[in-house]
Amino acid sequence: MSIKVAVIQFPGSNCDLDTLHVLNEVMNIEAELIWHNEFVGSKFDAAILPGGFSFGDYLRSGIIAAHSPAIEEAKKMLKDDKPILGICNGFQILTEAQLLPGALLKNDSLKFICKWVHIRVENTHTAFTNQMKEGQVLDIPVAHGEGRYFTDKLTELKENKQIIFRYSDPQGSVGDASNPNGSLDNIAGVCDLERKCLGLMPHPERASEMILSPNKTTHGIKFFQSMIHFITSGEI
Amino acid sequence: MTKVKVGKDELEVDLTEDEIKYINANLEHQPSITELGMFDVMWSEHCSYKSSRPKLKLFEDAEKKYDYVLAGPGQDAGVIDIGDGYCLAFRIESHNHPSAIEPYHGAATGIGGIIRDILCMGVRPIALLDPLRFGPLKDDPHSQWLFKYVVKGIADYGNCTGIPTIGGEVEFDKSFRNNCLVNVACIGLGTIEDFEHAPSRAYNPGDYIVLMGGSTGRDGIHGVTFASRTLTEQSEEDRPAVQIGDPFTKKLIIEATLEAIDTGYVRGLKDLGGGGLSCALSELTGDGGTGAKVDMKKIFTREPGMNSFEIMLSESQERMAFIVKPDGLDEILRIFRKYEMAHAVIGRTDDSKVLKVYDDENLVVSLPATALSESPMKEREEKRPEYLDGLITQQTPQTNLSHKEILYKLIASENICNKEWIYRQYDHEVGIRSVVKCGRGDSGVLRIMDEDKFIATSVGSNSKHCYLDPYNGAKGNLVEVCGNIISNGAKPMAMVNCCNFGNPEKPESYWYFSKSVEGMADFCKALRIPVVGGNVSFYNEDEVTKTAIKPTPQIMIVGLIEGEENIITMPFKEPGNAIVLIGETKAELGGSEYHSVIHNIEGGNPPKVDEERVKSTWELLETLYKKKMVKANHDINKGGFIITIAEMCFETQYGAALDLDILTKENLNEFELLYSESVGRFIIEVDPKNLEEIQSLANKLEVPIYRLGHITSEPKIKIAGFSSGEIILNIKEIKEKYDSTIPNLMEI
Repeated sequence: MSIKVAVIQFPGSNCDLDTLHVLNEVMNIEAELIWHNEFVGSKFDAAILPGGFSFGDYLRSGIIAAHSPAIEEAKKMLKDDKPILGICNGFQILTEAQLLPGALLKNDSLKFICKWVHIRVENTHTAFTNQMKEGQVLDIPVAHGEGRYFTDKLTELKENKQIIFRYSDPQGSVGDASNPNGSLDNIAGVCDLERKCLGLMPHPERASEMILSPNKTTHGIKFFQSMIHFITSGEI
Repeated sequence: MTKVKVGKDELEVDLTEDEIKYINANLEHQPSITELGMFDVMWSEHCSYKSSRPKLKLFEDAEKKYDYVLAGPGQDAGVIDIGDGYCLAFRIESHNHPSAIEPYHGAATGIGGIIRDILCMGVRPIALLDPLRFGPLKDDPHSQWLFKYVVKGIADYGNCTGIPTIGGEVEFDKSFRNNCLVNVACIGLGTIEDFEHAPSRAYNPGDYIVLMGGSTGRDGIHGVTFASRTLTEQSEEDRPAVQIGDPFTKKLIIEATLEAIDTGYVRGLKDLGGGGLSCALSELTGDGGTGAKVDMKKIFTREPGMNSFEIMLSESQERMAFIVKPDGLDEILRIFRKYEMAHAVIGRTDDSKVLKVYDDENLVVSLPATALSESPMKEREEKRPEYLDGLITQQTPQTNLSHKEILYKLIASENICNKEWIYRQYDHEVGIRSVVKCGRGDSGVLRIMDEDKFIATSVGSNSKHCYLDPYNGAKGNLVEVCGNIISNGAKPMAMVNCCNFGNPEKPESYWYFSKSVEGMADFCKALRIPVVGGNVSFYNEDEVTKTAIKPTPQIMIVGLIEGEENIITMPFKEPGNAIVLIGETKAELGGSEYHSVIHNIEGGNPPKVDEERVKSTWELLETLYKKKMVKANHDINKGGFIITIAEMCFETQYGAALDLDILTKENLNEFELLYSESVGRFIIEVDPKNLEEIQSLANKLEVPIYRLGHITSEPKIKIAGFSSGEIILNIKEIKEKYDSTIPNLMEI
């Protein structure tokens, strides 16, 4: 079965081409850049909201894009059991659109941070993590000014197993020293209740080719392999 | 400042009496206030290069002398052919004065301007680099404020546009305290076809002139003339002359412009930077041999009631002027609408060779299109400062400090310590091209998608060396910056520079400029490196202290690495491997960090450059690379070679066992040996079994090399061979000192 993935471009998206490159050239799947107000979800099997500064992140990161018609299309896709991935600014948009719980606040350092970090896989039962192993540690870079995850429903998220990634050290131990931005409970990524919508601050598309990784790893491709697996098998 | 009366109006201009006379003699009518304002801006030092042009002739003709140079000096950016159908465009320029007054927006709009220059060459901007200069941070809230907000301005602007900031360099010196330097460099990558189809000037009468992007406001009026003046206490009042950046709009401009160029309907393109519309329209038509008729009322303004003077001189950011083929106008406007970019057709080109601007029926500007860009040149006097003899002969004082204490102080000094605090704030990975990332090599290395070919680039200048000897200092800068990319495995291909100097009307300041240019020109000729562009920033002086900045000819070099396996990085790879010093260490402590950090003196004998030696050193490295004999390489810079070795130990937490006995025979004292900053040296890691072959290759090329010792798994640098006993440096300890200096100064 052939798979078709949409990479949605908002004005100010800037990881759109990078994401497209990985889907086309590394994963060898059909992917297309779609301008946000021309996006029709029914034409695609999955959609990715890439990183960047949609609408300049003016007012608040992701808030203006959250009111784009693309979000209505994304909601329809989720109803049709089609997966949605939000990376960095895409994650911020999905929380602002309330497709994902919580919010992303200014980093506790008050500065932008660009750095390779480690995240621990907390749960593999999602459309984007089913090819990972629980407890596995991924090498992946972050690049954001507003990535401090916060929610007032932490207990609920834990009960529902919606916390998918937490910042950790290379051995998988989670603590303040491995938290790059002050996120609550070191949370790096969460999913919705249906487990088909996932958002995270780190950039899988920057961690999908050995040549770009300081540790010569390609952990980012596991996100896309998981997505392909879900689309082809329906299994989470 | 000169006061000029036009009717009942009076205008203060920076034009000299002679220049005003020249204008009056060459125009057929009495210039209006707006026209005078336009001359004032376009004939400013910043736009006209009137003082520097006579000297910059030394760099001319790169296109004729090198077959791979596609565009050289005088263009918006230099462009070189890098093979396989690709080309690189790159340029560096200054945004010093705005940043000294309003660091955040000054630095941000500097980035904005350089991005537009690259865009004008028809290629996508793929990387930014930023060399910076400030006063020492310690105990100086003013310098800390400038530093913090310049970095934030670069980060916020660059990150938002999606162009990675992959490199830069910084120096802290008291001469920059009130006149910081913010130089910005950008690289664009495209196909040769992109470049050949790149719009340039308005060659065809009857084309539409379309203004796109931000609205025209009252900000930035006279930014350029302000940059061509010395900073004073009153400069604070010039803050309205600093433009406000909008990186989000810039990102859309990049995408809309590239999409518009792709249609083939855009025949001319110019960004609106210094000098605003005046500059853009006169360059587009003047260089294209056409004229234009512009309707001022069509220009969308930020506020009502702006007059022609304000509109023609506004330097509001994020604006581009397009010259569009008549049959393509609809298509171009459709693209601008898609990106929701404001735009207006403001006029048409004609064959009159005159630039005419109408305010309704009134002709407010009517100037020969070339008049504005043809400022009279200024021959400046030059004189070597008398204080230099005293400085150069300054002797190194005695010290009671041990070498260990000295090295701990050096590694923690502001000019040597870790700069991670800066580059962590820059998105240096967006674009997924950054292969050698900040902190892992001497240069930034970018991949070219679909090709096994890499671009290496670096920037730099040593202001202390140039202060003592601008001729050799400027050459030394080139050796150092080329060394940066060579140590990553690249071959230097071309250079652009940004000359930051004092007031050219003062013979001593002009001498520094003149000697630096001669140094760069001579070196580039000897090493066959084309100079494909440059920018000059004069008047970097501070009236409070009555001093000029230390001369800073900033160099940017680009080069290529063929094949991933040929990329070399800085960290040591394997204990047991040999550590080899390439190049000669001389008694050259002048302008060294050792002198300034330990003895608080600026003088001494500064490094000299021997081009023949540099050439053979590069040749040796190239041969060793071909034989795959170099495991790690780091070029020796500030603080001497022990600092270099320490930096190579940090990432892998290895150590080094060194015996310097071999070097002590060289007739140098311990201090000269350890801390001289003689240029053109490298530290390489090699397999000991290859040492013999390496030695014979070096002998053949007459390049001095020294086996200093080997890498150890124990994280300590142990230095033997001195009568004063063994020096032992603990890697963990020095790394902590190296890392903590800037955070300790900048974080509350």
